Amino acid sequence: MNSMAGVLLRVPPFKLYRRLGWPRMLPLNLTLSPSPKCNSRCLTCNIWMKREDELTLDEWDKVLASLGQAPYWFTISGGEPLMYPHVVELAQLAYEHCRPGVINIPTNGILPTIPDRVERIARSCPQSQVIINLSVDGVGEKHDFIRGVPGNFKKFEQRLEQLLSLRSRLSNLTVGIHSVVSVFNVGHLDEIIAYADQAGPDQFITEIAEPRVELDTVGLPITPSPEDYAKAIDRLIAYLESKRFTGVARITEALRVEYYKLVKRILDEEDQVIACYAGWVSAHIYADGTVWPCCVRADNLGNLRDHNYDFKEIWFGEKIQEVRRSIAAKECHCPLANASYTNMLHDVATLVRVGAKVLRPGNKRQQTAIGDPGQPVPTAATARQSTGE
Amino acid sequence: MAFDWLNKFQHDMEKEPDYAAKTLAAYRLGMKAKGSIVGVVVQPAPNCCAAARKLPAGRVYHPDQAPLLPLPDCPQGRRCGCLYRPVMTYQQAEA
Repeated sequence: MNSMAGVLLRVPPFKLYRRLGWPRMLPLNLTLSPSPKCNSRCLTCNIWMKREDELTLDEWDKVLASLGQAPYWFTISGGEPLMYPHVVELAQLAYEHCRPGVINIPTNGILPTIPDRVERIARSCPQSQVIINLSVDGVGEKHDFIRGVPGNFKKFEQRLEQLLSLRSRLSNLTVGIHSVVSVFNVGHLDEIIAYADQAGPDQFITEIAEPRVELDTVGLPITPSPEDYAKAIDRLIAYLESKRFTGVARITEALRVEYYKLVKRILDEEDQVIACYAGWVSAHIYADGTVWPCCVRADNLGNLRDHNYDFKEIWFGEKIQEVRRSIAAKECHCPLANASYTNMLHDVATLVRVGAKVLRPGNKRQQTAIGDPGQPVPTAATARQSTGE
Repeated sequence: MAFDWLNKFQHDMEKEPDYAAKTLAAYRLGMKAKGSIVGVVVQPAPNCCAAARKLPAGRVYHPDQAPLLPLPDCPQGRRCGCLYRPVMTYQQAEA
């Protein structure tokens, strides 16, 4: 079984691989997008309009077999991944062939079949941590407006309750709330933080809305200004730093704070800031079998159908070399969360800061005057006030 | 504009043979399914051909009426840097 210790042991060879092209290694962070179909109509995403000649389960079986036990972290993405009819079987194939430490699935929470599918995935992948992140981009009708689906927030709340109750039976299930911070909600992130604080998920995470080739959002004005983002995310950082975390959560929350600070710098400096390992450590397989280094650039590295479903042929082939050169030369920069967390694991300065924070004695929980002077940190009480409950 | 590199980068990407058909089909579906897409514009490449330069700047097309990219006789073929961009309701509201 893949372990976090095993991941950390692979950091030095991955650093060598990026610098010298040796030792050749398969990615440990892999995103699978089996279908672009989605029942949301988000203002920040156009992937749901796409239709592809999707890989069949038999094809996925061959692809995943070719990866062996290299991937530690799988994200099954979409579209809406839990709407994909074979999502349970796909997760099972990933588990059977790769034995990942984590299977991470975002969801819009709309379909009533979601809890059953999640339960089947968690039960059939008992040695993997299954993380389900429910999307919420606003509280109440604000969420429905951004996601383009009337009644979505109510369904989200039902699904959250159902999934949280599953945790008592499934020790490998983590249920989180995930928000995309865009121009449409950057002004009310406090309200979302406060909502998440009282909703009881295992984690609350955010990602900035960024243009992506995958989502056909290049050129669309969805990304908040660096100033607006910094103002909002500083409040989230203040909230996180006012909480006491223990055990593994102490490490993950320290990493999250680092990520939010990294995003501020990327927006501000328009630079990678820390080295990007997309194309070495992380990769993405799109619905039609195309391999990308990441979903932002979505360079076509080759289609698995043209390579006998052998991921290695593409990963160790010629075409990827120019893309790696371009990424290493910092011809791109973005705050893509999935790649950024992998990048942070390979950045010594980040690891030192996280280590120092984890080892530091915990601060006393503070509830006021953090972030903006005179502004209370978002709590459930302020959430109820702001939503008029 | 944020992430301007990505816009330039996409102009430089070689197009798939079915780029126009696939992209316009997606937008057609988007409009039919009442997403927030209201049409499509052609974003000419900085080094676009004469025919692309003659296209009315900023014109919003229905996907059925949009010119097919690459334009006929474009000397760059699949290396044509002109792109389709979706036009969203919130952009029209801003305008």
